[in-house]
Amino acid sequence: MATREKLVEVKNLKKYFNMGKGQMLKAVDDVSFDIYKGETLGLVGESGCGKSTTGRTIIRLYGATDGSVTFNGEDVHGKKNKAKLKEFNRKMQMIFQDPYASLNPRMTVKDIIAEGIDIHGLAKTKEERLQRVHELLETVGLNKEHANRYPHEFSGGQRQRIGIARALAVDPDFIIADEPISALDVSIQAQVVNLLQKLQRERGLTYLFIAHDLSMVKHISDRVGVMYLGNLVELTESDTLYNEPLHPYTQALLSAIPVPDPELERSRERIILEGDVPSPVSPPSGCRFRTRCPHAMDVCAKVAPKWQEAREGHYVACHLYDEELKEN
Amino acid sequence: MEHILEVKNLHVSFDTFAGEVQAVRGVDIKLNKGETLAIVGESGSGKSVTSKSIMRLIPNPPGRITEGQILFQGKDLAKYSERQMQQVRGSEISMIFQDPMTSLNPTMTVGKQIMEGLRIHQKMSKSQATARAIELLKLVGIPNAEARLKQYPHQFSGGMRQRVVIAIALACNPKILIADEPTTALDVTIQAQILELMKDLQDKTGTAIILITHDLGVVANAAQRVAVMYGGQIVETGTVDEIFYKPKHPYTWGLLASMPKLGASDTDLIAIPGSPPDLSDPPKGCPFAARCPHAMKVCVDHMPDHTEVSGSHKAACWLLDERAPKVEKPVEASVGGAR
Repeated sequence: MATREKLVEVKNLKKYFNMGKGQMLKAVDDVSFDIYKGETLGLVGESGCGKSTTGRTIIRLYGATDGSVTFNGEDVHGKKNKAKLKEFNRKMQMIFQDPYASLNPRMTVKDIIAEGIDIHGLAKTKEERLQRVHELLETVGLNKEHANRYPHEFSGGQRQRIGIARALAVDPDFIIADEPISALDVSIQAQVVNLLQKLQRERGLTYLFIAHDLSMVKHISDRVGVMYLGNLVELTESDTLYNEPLHPYTQALLSAIPVPDPELERSRERIILEGDVPSPVSPPSGCRFRTRCPHAMDVCAKVAPKWQEAREGHYVACHLYDEELKEN
Repeated sequence: MEHILEVKNLHVSFDTFAGEVQAVRGVDIKLNKGETLAIVGESGSGKSVTSKSIMRLIPNPPGRITEGQILFQGKDLAKYSERQMQQVRGSEISMIFQDPMTSLNPTMTVGKQIMEGLRIHQKMSKSQATARAIELLKLVGIPNAEARLKQYPHQFSGGMRQRVVIAIALACNPKILIADEPTTALDVTIQAQILELMKDLQDKTGTAIILITHDLGVVANAAQRVAVMYGGQIVETGTVDEIFYKPKHPYTWGLLASMPKLGASDTDLIAIPGSPPDLSDPPKGCPFAARCPHAMKVCVDHMPDHTEVSGSHKAACWLLDERAPKVEKPVEASVGGAR
């Protein structure tokens, strides 16, 4: 593990949104993790947990309130001149959730894909530009006849392929995929996930895969982080997370997923969480999960649990795994 | 078993500028008393149109039922007038919609919306209806029911709103509840709460449920019988065990194989190539033929009949014809192997 090269380092990242009237929405509150070169890190959680905000802050679509993001040894949020920023933008790309909203309906597929190529001057002649677009279309499983069409002529799965081709156009190292398959049908989801994995193998890409569908995240990710109300509560290898979840929230989340197996479903004991996720404007004191946690103790209301390595490579933020507390 | 609802050879079409779109093409459904029947399929497969037709909620124009019968307690709903349907909706058959954010009226208190049906269908007095509404809110697990009654939908969270929608749907003790993607807009932990609630309520009230969903996990959790829809037709029906453990239709195989399994090791997902057929120009033969790895010449030209596999299990596929080559379902499609 230690020999692996860090590509992205997120340290104590915070992103607050000012709601007016002195209220702060703490969308991401003190999150730290690393992403290694060539891996897929999954980020899961329910709506409003801050997973998308984390992704968007990493790629500098939002300015961070506090904390730092380091990409390839360089500070993402630091001051940069235009050329430097352009260089940085080329290395990091994003694929969005809604394939209907993320493509400009008034541009042809060719121009959508080539926009990055034009900005970064990656093609010297018109022919070269077209050549690259055609290659990219074929890479993502479309054909070159599609280049002159408009987004509305495509189905959801095909549009997501166009979005992927656009991201690949500038030859990035790191791609943030924010719920790339949530809007697609099951049989189409598998096509897109297989494509993403194929591209990773061929080009050595690093992914941050954000989704709420845990079974898909487990399938595609090497490591998975679980978020709850702006905090990262657990992070480890995906198999370990699914086989031995430590945090009570992860346990509940896993047990809540219905599996496509009727016999297993009938015999399964579910942990059903009560109530709803509290508002991120006024989160509970101490551990944010304590209001719904079946194992909540007195200390959980007073002290926020530390982010610690409970086992090798298995990070968790929960008082149940606090060594100091156990001794007392 | 007694059928409470029987849909026979239902055809529904929409007139669009591009021509007639045949969204539902000959669907047969039998619903038994007190059971949960899941209708699964991808977007555009016709599952929502089928359920809305049963409620006669297809706007006309552009939509119309071109053929078929919807027999509810021996009477054909397809021939009912709008006035007659109003007597049925909400009292005999009610519906839960996908999006709890938009299916409630934002300008009416939650209590008033629950009481609406009670006052109209059951001619209750205001005080009777209020008492029943409080009872219903408690039944669906909303704490502090008396105070909540006077609140507006925006004061409820997503999961709570869906509970309110369920309370409205169950207010008049309907015989059939149609739930169109009831948990799709909700988070998994809330989804687990709502599914549990629906099962619990079914035990108490004996309502038959038609559950429309694209999530096979939800199906395995909540349904007793399953109908798989593709291209406006039902391609396979059976009990949950038959569909999940002994599926016969290649589309069902594909659907099961394209789901990642939590327990399984990492292999490539088995994707179904291509995309669903365009129903403004539906294929002559089997709708799945273009994407089917086992397609034969006959599949392209002739629609297969429903072949009976067992008393409760039917599939529409030429592979089940005695003249067809024997094709076994691929191993990856089996859920049993993943455990």
